[in-house]
Amino acid sequence: MANIVCSNVDKQYGAVSVIADFNLDVADHEFIVFLGPSGCGKSTLLRMIAGLEDISGGKVAIGGRTVNDLPPRDRGVAMVFQNYALYPHMTIYDNIAFGLKRMKVPKPEIEQRIRAVAATLGLDPYLGRKPTELSGGQQQRVAIARAMIKTPRVFLFDEPLSNLDAKLRNHMRVEIARLHQKLKTTTIYVTHDQLEAMTLADRIVLMKGGAIEQVGTPAEIYDRPRTLFVAGFIGTPNMNFIDVTTEKVDGGWSLRGAGCNIHAAGTRFALTPGQKVVLGFRPADLEIATSADDQANVVAGVADLVEFHGNDALVTFLFAGKEIGALVKASACPKPGDQVAFTIGEESLHLFDQSNGLSLLKA
Amino acid sequence: MKQKNSLPAIFLTPAMMILAVLALVPTVYAIYISLQNRELSRPDGDFVGLANYIDLFSDRRFINAIGVSLTWEAVTVGMTLIVAVGLGILLFECASPRMRNILALLFLMPVILPRVSAAFVWKFAFHPLYGIATYPYKAITGQPLDLLSNPATALATVALVDVWQWGLFFSVIVLKLLQTLPPQPFEAARLDHARTWETYTHIAIPMLKAPLISLAFVKMIESLRAFDLIYVMTRGGPGITTETLDMYAFSQGFIESGRISYASSMAVLMMIATSIVFTFIWKRVQ
Repeated sequence: MANIVCSNVDKQYGAVSVIADFNLDVADHEFIVFLGPSGCGKSTLLRMIAGLEDISGGKVAIGGRTVNDLPPRDRGVAMVFQNYALYPHMTIYDNIAFGLKRMKVPKPEIEQRIRAVAATLGLDPYLGRKPTELSGGQQQRVAIARAMIKTPRVFLFDEPLSNLDAKLRNHMRVEIARLHQKLKTTTIYVTHDQLEAMTLADRIVLMKGGAIEQVGTPAEIYDRPRTLFVAGFIGTPNMNFIDVTTEKVDGGWSLRGAGCNIHAAGTRFALTPGQKVVLGFRPADLEIATSADDQANVVAGVADLVEFHGNDALVTFLFAGKEIGALVKASACPKPGDQVAFTIGEESLHLFDQSNGLSLLKA
Repeated sequence: MKQKNSLPAIFLTPAMMILAVLALVPTVYAIYISLQNRELSRPDGDFVGLANYIDLFSDRRFINAIGVSLTWEAVTVGMTLIVAVGLGILLFECASPRMRNILALLFLMPVILPRVSAAFVWKFAFHPLYGIATYPYKAITGQPLDLLSNPATALATVALVDVWQWGLFFSVIVLKLLQTLPPQPFEAARLDHARTWETYTHIAIPMLKAPLISLAFVKMIESLRAFDLIYVMTRGGPGITTETLDMYAFSQGFIESGRISYASSMAVLMMIATSIVFTFIWKRVQ
């Protein structure tokens, strides 16, 4: 078990900078998820921690020891790859045993440890088979077994579930969560799937363009997105955004845009008059207006698309020149073409500065 | 329907005809004269049954030639693969992509050279007085070094030229094969406490087993046809130390006694033996 410290980590490929000045402390036993869109540098960062990529600048320390110049095998890390990376010519048993054999662990102990790990992951019936004779989920379990058996100080997962179908992905996600509960090994998990991030992480590191956008618990990231990017990236369906201008009025602020006038008391936000801001609210925070009277904070329009999700339905309509989504109970769902009106509670509003995309929520 | 069925036959027939004329006629004729006692000096001959074949097994030179041929196969195939894999890995591990391309081009050149030319070039390089390959030895010891006239070194020296041609060529193939392997198993192995050489012995080479066996096969067949190389460099000498089966058959048939029937019986035996051996190995491999 070990903590991981990244200080001022840089990565360049020639003249192209992929990661610049990355700083992060991962506590012992912590489950950290690197989340971000494709090409944000999260896998590169993971591979730098594993030792599979050179570190162009800065320092990576595992368990208090700088590992910049250590080969992967001396870092005490184990990694699970997206495409499993099993040794195709070896049986499952030999795949799992490979690392232990290289570490010169005595044969009887290898045998015993493999039995134990195989029992944990339900791999017993497959030990004599070759990787190609196994399904994707089974192969990924072998990859996890191969990583686990070395009792590493750090687990690294590089999008381990993206090659699996949706049902298996849910299943394996639960297995990984359970495994972490049991082993408590410090883990860094890379994914572009926010559901995996939200469900597995102690803390999420949300990345964009090689830099950290926000670090926080899943709840913090969901409830208090630091930037417009985070707000748009986290949450399904996506947050709605409307460009508005602030105006000081009696008892707070008026947020005015094309055909839109939202009132906010303004105690939660740090605003200045005439400021150009982006107003954000999540589809799930919209409530069907009881009567279209003089209620403030109403967004209304003609429903043009209704997507059925099971329990809920996503109603899309045009408001203030933007497509707005609202999540309603499937039982109360309007039909396309119906006039719809929703109210937004002030506590569920998010405001971002248009110039720099930063949240205007007071700390 | 009938037209559709006959189409493959129509396309195949000309090729099969040519093949039959080129391959089958000499083969059948070789079998035919191997049962006679024809000599180049006489226009006629009689059928002698299997007498030529029976004589072969009491022929000391024939037994020697079998030994030389087997040694030649083992040495050239083995060394070629060792050199190819070793150099291929070295190129893959140490050379930059640009360097790899330059070296690959250089390594292809020996095999492009006609083997007779290669043989002449190397024969001169091994010349005891003027050869560049033997020059350092002569400069240091003051003694000439005649590798090709020494029974202990002649076969190995000719084999060196063969390995120079094919080992370097195959190393380029091995390099390209290594480049086609997915990188993840290597990365997994590096995290699995494998040292660099272990990633090759335990991961890369086993993953390349099938193509490497194919390469070995190609080289085995190619090594059987090393007649021109040996002929130019040693003519089977000194004595009969580098006399392979085809060399011996050639000298029996055309150089020494003109016993064309006897030589044909050797060729027929070789054909049968190689067919059986290769079929057997091929089945085993599969």
